Amino acid sequence: MQDVLFYCFAALTILCGFMVVANPWSRNPVTSAMFLVLTIVSLAGLFTLLHAFFLAAVQVLVYAGAVMVLFLFVIMLLDLKEEARRKIRGFGMISGGIAVAAVFGIIFKTLVFDTPRLSAGLSAPNLEGVTKPLGETLFTRYLLPFEILSVLLLVAMVGVILLSKRDLR
Amino acid sequence: MNYFELLTLAMPETILVIAALAVLAADLLVMREEPVRHRFVVAAAISCVGCCAGLFWMFNIEQHASVLNGMLVVDPLTRLMKAALLALTVFTVLVSVERDFTAHVGEYCALILLATIGMMFLVSSEELLMIFLSLELTSLSLYILAAFNKRELKSAEAALKYFLFGGTAAAFALYGLSLIYGLSGATNLREIAKALSGQALDPLLICAIVMTVIGFGFKVAAVPFHLWAPDAYQGAPTPSAAFIASGSKVASFFIFAKVMMLGFAGVEGSAVWRGMISGWVPAIALLAALSMIFGNLAAIAQKNVKRLLAYSAIAHAGYALLGVLTDNAQGVASLVYYVITYALTVLGAFGVVAVVEEFSGDSQFGNFAGLARRAPCLAFCMMIFMLSLAGIPPLAGFFGKFYLFAAAVGSESTNLGLLWLVILAVAMSAVSLYYYLQVLKQIYVAEAPASASTARPSLFTQGVVAVLAAAVVVLGCAPNLLLGRLLEAIKVAGLY
Amino acid sequence: MTAGLEHYLVVSAILFCLGLLGVILRRNLLIIYMSLELMLNAANLAFVALSRFNNNLDGQIMVFFIITVAAAEVAVGLALIVALYRKRQTAHVEDLTLMKL
Repeated sequence: MQDVLFYCFAALTILCGFMVVANPWSRNPVTSAMFLVLTIVSLAGLFTLLHAFFLAAVQVLVYAGAVMVLFLFVIMLLDLKEEARRKIRGFGMISGGIAVAAVFGIIFKTLVFDTPRLSAGLSAPNLEGVTKPLGETLFTRYLLPFEILSVLLLVAMVGVILLSKRDLR
Repeated sequence: MNYFELLTLAMPETILVIAALAVLAADLLVMREEPVRHRFVVAAAISCVGCCAGLFWMFNIEQHASVLNGMLVVDPLTRLMKAALLALTVFTVLVSVERDFTAHVGEYCALILLATIGMMFLVSSEELLMIFLSLELTSLSLYILAAFNKRELKSAEAALKYFLFGGTAAAFALYGLSLIYGLSGATNLREIAKALSGQALDPLLICAIVMTVIGFGFKVAAVPFHLWAPDAYQGAPTPSAAFIASGSKVASFFIFAKVMMLGFAGVEGSAVWRGMISGWVPAIALLAALSMIFGNLAAIAQKNVKRLLAYSAIAHAGYALLGVLTDNAQGVASLVYYVITYALTVLGAFGVVAVVEEFSGDSQFGNFAGLARRAPCLAFCMMIFMLSLAGIPPLAGFFGKFYLFAAAVGSESTNLGLLWLVILAVAMSAVSLYYYLQVLKQIYVAEAPASASTARPSLFTQGVVAVLAAAVVVLGCAPNLLLGRLLEAIKVAGLY
Repeated sequence: MTAGLEHYLVVSAILFCLGLLGVILRRNLLIIYMSLELMLNAANLAFVALSRFNNNLDGQIMVFFIITVAAAEVAVGLALIVALYRKRQTAHVEDLTLMKL
């Protein structure tokens, strides 16, 4: 059952990821954004299969909820229509494609031939990513990064207000 | 470990956070109706007081600790790095004060301080999560700082390019870090090294190393990951560009070296001529060689001083990488000495560029013509900076290069060792002299155009730039002021 | 075939490369951002999988932080696009040509 679910979610993730990047039918950013939502939700499914329940919830809440709304908001705000008419340069496309294919080939090869060694020393997985131990770790061992995160959010807040505000002068 | 202890260890950073909040509050609540110039002076004063308070704390309360699994390491070496970063921040703020690129001066100073906090945490951590987080904190602030001039389209464009490249780099670094975490099961650099040291160098580890190197290579603008640098330097407001070129470079180089030397200890490999062994050293040797060649050659063709400084920064990244791949105490010491003196020099140079830009609109070569007659003091300082960048004794740039090259030659005794890289570096330094002299030729030889502005630079900016020039001369004449302390600190820190 | 660690890692590698492809090939800044998100998500998946199979929570904590940082980064990036759009009605990489490369 778990394996079936894994293959479903994995296929969905990759398919939707592909549609975000290279949708053959539409160049509209809104479509891409919608497929990104699907990708993220199916990733959350994969997280659940990995017993990372809290993260799956956060993934849906933060990404599908907040980040995607932000994306859609900006797309609507800017009214990007003429988009679709651009044509793609052949040379750049081919060389870029080859480069990425090479990167993928390398990673794929090492993963397939190397993971036995990666997982060799590992015991059977029994880690449960439930909220309580995560929260406890977060506020004890990871207290300092947590505080720094608040500074980072302050930076983002100041920056966003500053950049998107219309200057009066 | 209790929270109070953590707070005292992180006190310099905490002071800076408070200063940043104070700057924001003072500017937005109290000074709202004042003219921009007054607000800038107040904001800068609060920032400088914050930095000085941080410095004061660090040098009066001797602490030595590594807490939370290496997330916060406080020892003489990190203290020295933080002091250098704080000093650079103070100078950046001072160089910015009289500039006129934004009306949002409170946010500007606050973001500079927040970026500095990121850099300070960055240099004092030995843990993957902290490194990622503080790197992001720094980068995010720098993207915003690059976009600060909202009157100029160029500024937004520069920030976008910087953001796109930075974001991709972060993703690469993150993927590399995830593989490292998977291979070692640890997030602390020293534990990672322990877990990796017993293993043979397998393809997956190479993948992880290469991706991490790509991520950090972007941050230090090494070829072929340098594409953002020229545009970001040129388009960003000059004081922001100065900060990107100085403070962030110092922090990134230090953490790059630390990740490589601590985290990948045991899988160094070797970049010896005709005796390469795969590992991280040859990867960095490749970056260094490419950066030195490409940076210097591309700089020759430039007609804009800011772009020229960007390409020269790429070239200097190449030299500094020699310090990373030397991989011993000497290497770290020379690397840190080099990047700190480089940062001071380039900060001063940007200060001069900022003044010229203010008078004549942009930083094309022609606008520097006859600067020696209009502003003799600034012109003289610029000469010091350019000659130091080119590596002319007795300036700091010369000794920086000398120590770097000496450390690189001394590290591998077999089979000519790293001599091939050093020879390349020396040759390329000779090339670099040409384009630095081009700038000086404009300043000292070329006649000022009749339309040139006759305005005089303010005494304050001249003073700040002169102090930076004096620092470059002093550190060049008495390198032991910094280098002796560095070597001692490295010994105490147990980096080697 | 039961889904083991390598399966998850392969999925994450594919996702990462798809994201990279988008960053390199697409010209629309918004879609480039989305591709960046794909790359970050690929790293997230790798972290969660490795955390599960390494039997320690560090990887999951890392993901928690990455998600937050990514959200902040997107906010800043979109603000940059808005700032650019105010000056010049475009969200295309090709139009970022004020400075020669």
